[in-house]
Amino acid sequence: MPIIDKKSVLSGLKVRDAMRRIATHLHKQASINEAAKLLIKFRINSLLIVDANDEVIGVVSKTNIMGAYYAGIPIETPLEAIMMPSPVLCSPEDTLESALDLMRTHKVHRVFVTGDDPKQASGVLAYYDICGLLYRYCHRCERNVARPRASLSDSSMADALRVHEVMTPSVFFNRKDESIMTIMEGLEAGNVGAVLILSREGQPVGVVSKTDLLMAYKRGISPEDPAKSIMNSPVRSCDYDDPLVLVIREMVFADVQRLFIHRETPANIVGVLSLSDAARIRSGSCRACLSSRIEVLDGP
Amino acid sequence: MTVTARDVMDTVFFTLRPGMSVAEAVKIFKLASEEQKSKSFGLLVTNDHSELVGMVSMFDILLLMRPKHIHIWGEMNDMDVGGFLDETCRRAKIVRVEDIMTTDLTSITPDTQLLFIVDIMIRKHMRRIPVLEDGKLVGIVYISKVFYYLMERSGCETT
Repeated sequence: MPIIDKKSVLSGLKVRDAMRRIATHLHKQASINEAAKLLIKFRINSLLIVDANDEVIGVVSKTNIMGAYYAGIPIETPLEAIMMPSPVLCSPEDTLESALDLMRTHKVHRVFVTGDDPKQASGVLAYYDICGLLYRYCHRCERNVARPRASLSDSSMADALRVHEVMTPSVFFNRKDESIMTIMEGLEAGNVGAVLILSREGQPVGVVSKTDLLMAYKRGISPEDPAKSIMNSPVRSCDYDDPLVLVIREMVFADVQRLFIHRETPANIVGVLSLSDAARIRSGSCRACLSSRIEVLDGP
Repeated sequence: MTVTARDVMDTVFFTLRPGMSVAEAVKIFKLASEEQKSKSFGLLVTNDHSELVGMVSMFDILLLMRPKHIHIWGEMNDMDVGGFLDETCRRAKIVRVEDIMTTDLTSITPDTQLLFIVDIMIRKHMRRIPVLEDGKLVGIVYISKVFYYLMERSGCETT
């Protein structure tokens, strides 16, 4: 009887091998303003909310804060009014595979890791942390086809992969004169982290991300103002035929979680690539572990 | 003789404004280091009424500059790092001092005694403590000043 070997790259690895040992948290009475500040300062997407006993009672993400901005809630409102209860928690001793399962079932991109006290958090594990670990693992693998050989350069494998093979071939966009309100509706409906802004003539002129919306909220900008007042210009994009490695480089340096992809001319944006897509594709892409490649999660 | 903050505080110092961009703040850091002939590791943030509203340390700025995913990409030896600084500087231009400053500050008054100051510095790992009088920032006590003040005193007593 054949034995099916279910061993994958992640087998044997635990949450503690990939987690970040810092979980930013605020007290439930702290204001939305304070949360927005921490999210900008530490460039994170969400933080934990604790009660007087430091026990985790909720989580506030950029999306929740954007919702508060949309609803016209004053920025000094306590976080308990907008937090999402019961964040997804796992233990540092859990396997990475089970943590990934948790992310899939709950449709989240990060889980918080408990400490010695199961009601307190000791760290956070994000989807891209696992992608990163997988990347490093593959880089060291003896069977990695990207390893230097007499006839191949180190980056030959990466060069073989082109952006368009990996990107999401659809883009959410708004016009620059549309209100910040409309942008927020689009981000929410599309479940994306940023939206492309087009001029009246349909040329890409900027990007508005959730971070830009947080800053607008903090600066007291009215949600009725046009998108052009808060957008980031110019649009950072890469060519459809660019090697994937170049695009990853762009994202790491620009510290963005996504990059738009243009075809032929920068005015023709045809897709978007997220950092975790990029990491996932570069990892486990050789025959040695093709079968164990981790699945794509829905959403941004 | 009672030694207080008044005796060891510096009264000439540079401050930042909350609405400044981080790029502007960096210029003030440089200016402060040149003027004070010692490197500034942190600057206080005041509003238009000289009231203390926060503090920005070099650490806060470096935190903003560090590529978030750099630990993940540590083994990407096929990347070249040219252009990295331009990108981080772009970020420094959009983010303001008020976005990264620490607002949870400990302050003292000009009458706080020296040994209490030492205690605060040790317990809270602070290198500089703002001195407030009637809500206004009037001085800063630096750890080096306290240290050398105490060392000089103890040196005198042993000889």
